[in-house]
Amino acid sequence: MDNLKESLKPVFARLGSMTLAVGILCVLAVASAIGTVLLQNQEQSDYIRQFGQLWYWTFRSLGLFDMYHTWWFLTLLAFLMVSLAVCLWRNVPHMLKEMRTRKVTITDKSLKHFHHLHHWQIAEGTSMAEVKQTAEKGLSEWELLEAEKNDAFYLRGDKGRYHKWGYILAHAAVLVILTGGWISVHYGFRGNMAVPEGQSENEIEFLRGATVNHLKMPFRVRCNKFHIEFYPSGPPKEFRSNISIIDHGKVVMTKDIIVNEPLKYKGVRIFQASFGDGGSGITLKLFHLDGSQKIQTVKTHVYDTWKDPKSGVSLQITNFRPFNIQNMAGAGEPKNFQDLGPAVEYIIRGPGLKPVKVKSYMDPFVMNGQDRGMLMEVSESGDKKDFQPFLLGLDLTHPKEWKLFHAFIHAAAALGGGNTQHERFKAFNAALKQVYGNKPPKDFQDLGARLLQGIASLPKIPWPFIPILDNYHQVYYTGLQLTEDPGMNVVWAGSILLVLGLCIMFYLPHRKIWLVIRPAGKGKGLEVSMAGMTNRNRLGFEREFQALSSKLNTMFEPQ
Amino acid sequence: MSVALANHSTTWDSLSHGRPGFIRFGAYLGVILGAAGLAMFGSGGYNQDQYLFQLLGSPGLIWCGTGAIIGALSSTVLSTLRPSLTESRIATNLVPWLDGVLMMLLLAAVLSQFEPPKSMISFDDQSNLFSGRVIMAMNIVFIFSAVSYIAYLFAPDSFMGRLATWSAWAGVYAGGSALLLRWHESYLISPDIGHAPVSNLYEVFILLCCVTTTVYLALEKRYQAKAMGAFVLTLVAAAVFFDIWLASVGEASIKPLVPALQSYWMKIHVPMNFIGYGSFSVACGAGMAYLWRSHLEKRGSNARILAVMPTLDQLDQLAYKAVSIGFPAFTLATILGAAWASEAWGGYWSWDPKETWALIVWLTYGAYLHARVSHGWHGRALAWWAVAGFLVTLFCFLGVNMYLSGLHSYGRLS
Repeated sequence: MDNLKESLKPVFARLGSMTLAVGILCVLAVASAIGTVLLQNQEQSDYIRQFGQLWYWTFRSLGLFDMYHTWWFLTLLAFLMVSLAVCLWRNVPHMLKEMRTRKVTITDKSLKHFHHLHHWQIAEGTSMAEVKQTAEKGLSEWELLEAEKNDAFYLRGDKGRYHKWGYILAHAAVLVILTGGWISVHYGFRGNMAVPEGQSENEIEFLRGATVNHLKMPFRVRCNKFHIEFYPSGPPKEFRSNISIIDHGKVVMTKDIIVNEPLKYKGVRIFQASFGDGGSGITLKLFHLDGSQKIQTVKTHVYDTWKDPKSGVSLQITNFRPFNIQNMAGAGEPKNFQDLGPAVEYIIRGPGLKPVKVKSYMDPFVMNGQDRGMLMEVSESGDKKDFQPFLLGLDLTHPKEWKLFHAFIHAAAALGGGNTQHERFKAFNAALKQVYGNKPPKDFQDLGARLLQGIASLPKIPWPFIPILDNYHQVYYTGLQLTEDPGMNVVWAGSILLVLGLCIMFYLPHRKIWLVIRPAGKGKGLEVSMAGMTNRNRLGFEREFQALSSKLNTMFEPQ
Repeated sequence: MSVALANHSTTWDSLSHGRPGFIRFGAYLGVILGAAGLAMFGSGGYNQDQYLFQLLGSPGLIWCGTGAIIGALSSTVLSTLRPSLTESRIATNLVPWLDGVLMMLLLAAVLSQFEPPKSMISFDDQSNLFSGRVIMAMNIVFIFSAVSYIAYLFAPDSFMGRLATWSAWAGVYAGGSALLLRWHESYLISPDIGHAPVSNLYEVFILLCCVTTTVYLALEKRYQAKAMGAFVLTLVAAAVFFDIWLASVGEASIKPLVPALQSYWMKIHVPMNFIGYGSFSVACGAGMAYLWRSHLEKRGSNARILAVMPTLDQLDQLAYKAVSIGFPAFTLATILGAAWASEAWGGYWSWDPKETWALIVWLTYGAYLHARVSHGWHGRALAWWAVAGFLVTLFCFLGVNMYLSGLHSYGRLS
């Protein structure tokens, strides 16, 4: 047994050594840096695309994609804890002992080695007791001890005697914080739930490595209302959810939560995290392009797919937004924010059609107060970045314009195709008369221009109909984060200790001074020496020592 | 230090020592307690949107004024009863700083009189706001100060030294009052938008310039390390040029806060962090000065600069001194950030790039302190460490915003 103890001793010494501690700190720093450069917990397919097979598998086997939870990273942290614990175990007894014992006497030899040293000669005639009294008065701010040995009188003064507590607290605090973190990871949870308005949910989901886990809460959360407020310039100002906690079938609490102001129930804190469309009701109008002037109304929901049985064309509704604030200014112009109104996004697919993503606005596009007809944005890649605006020219919120469009085509065909400007003018006049009777709209010239744009752009559309957003019933979902963290208070306690310890360590250096009064020899009066030392802030102590010396100067040698 | 300009302006110092200083300290303490009392008990609890208006309106006058009077009276009584109290270190050390804050507030109040009329202030065109001009003045003054400090290295005459120090102080006051003006202006644009001026890169760079200079000036005053200013103020001037660039690409405008930033934690966490960053910059300046001096000494040079610059030992101590200001501040700032994260994101630690880099900075300087205090390392190695540590810090607060994504993405350049 003793043998084992002996053989473990060097291991123990190594574990608590400073070199190991600094080494672990550096390795942790480098490892943490890797984790920030490599995006964590992304889709595995993205990683393969980014790095290629070889590096993907190398990184994956090292766990670099979820680095902070790999065994080797946790082992590093454990090593740090062990090293800290051993270091404390070995040094705390020394430190406590050192703080208790204060040696008052000091040898002449060691006195000579002091960096901060000052001597006085006190002329014959002043007694030792008087000098002692003066010195004690001058050192009133110091914690004093005195002793007499071999004719000499010794005074020891201390300031910041508990400095070593700073080390102990700061190092113990890191242990406490890491322990708190460990408790959080093992006994706490953190997950998300999406609750559509008017519905309730009691399960959270969270990511462990690459898999999604679920956990049931001991209560249900119902979202009564989600509200979002915007600044005039577009960015969101506030996300607010009105939620109710339902425990055993009864509503026990109803409250608003916003970002930065969570709610707490049964130890679980509920945060406003995100939001999205919770399956809004969408009404689309399909303007058939087969010349029949047919307008079909379709009711569906976001995330649903509607399929036209006749043509086989399907519409997958992906998103809906009630506000679409965009900067309408060109490059270099002052910003000009404008709300383009509600819009729905869908993917249109069908036999012989290239699937594209479309954003269709409910309101016509208005620029400088002038109606420019319906606006759609089309993205061939399906990516939001690639949306290209597509103006239909016609304002389809007015049923008469749809009629006018067809009347014009008929009239133009009757006039021989409408290829010349004259023919088009005549056809337009005829169509105007047919649709509006004797009361053409005031802006009919503008209407004509838009009609011509429609004539040019509509035939380009390959679909059998144009789906335009007609109406909506918005439903949000609120994205909530639910957490329980029993380690949190341990971490806060550790944090307070840490700051306290650091403050003691840095701002309360242990300063010691010795004052030795002894007879200088027969008839030569007294010799006073003062020596000082500190373990921190030498520059500051130099000033303090000098100030003290000059203060004593004036006290010993009154003018 | 060698050419010690030990002209401690004595009249100035005497104002913050002794009884007048102690009474002022009591009054300041009273004002702070009054403001805290208003936050907690005025009109039934703290209201983030209303508090500033209350503080600047009559409730603030009543609470803070009462606090000031009570504080001044009680410190008068106390100092009569126990005259030794007037020499207490806390009071004599803090009073000059509190005086400085008061002067900055007064300066900002005076400058705010130059704002355009309210009808001329709009969100879309912020070019007529007065803070822009004050910031421009700050830029010029800081660059001037850096040039003066460098000139002082080569022509160490006391006028040049005073010019450098005074212009550095002028820069701090210009920058600080410009930030206060911006705070005011954000409310002038719209009470909805109003927020503390620490919400984007442009604003925090101004803060960084001011904090770095202030930390340096405090060390300069205490340790007469004037020649180090050339190195620190050069870093500040670099930050100033970065800020000018930011303004030129349109990052200087006051923007509304995203919901995640609407919290009182922002006002505590961000400035605290910059005390850390600023101190680390000063440590880097001291480290660079050390490396340069040791390079000169190695070559056996007997340049006149060597007589001006602090000795190697002093520079070593100054770097450590700066780190010992920065490290506790940075630790506290990181803890405050964790507290905010736990309130806004649901967890005190998420391994978000910014958090992780804050940890890396903390580990770097933690290792620095261990190497120094327990290993007894000194000299060149640690000077290099101070410089390298600053590069890590720089990446933490700039690189992370520019190159990595994450929860701190609002600090991003758009």
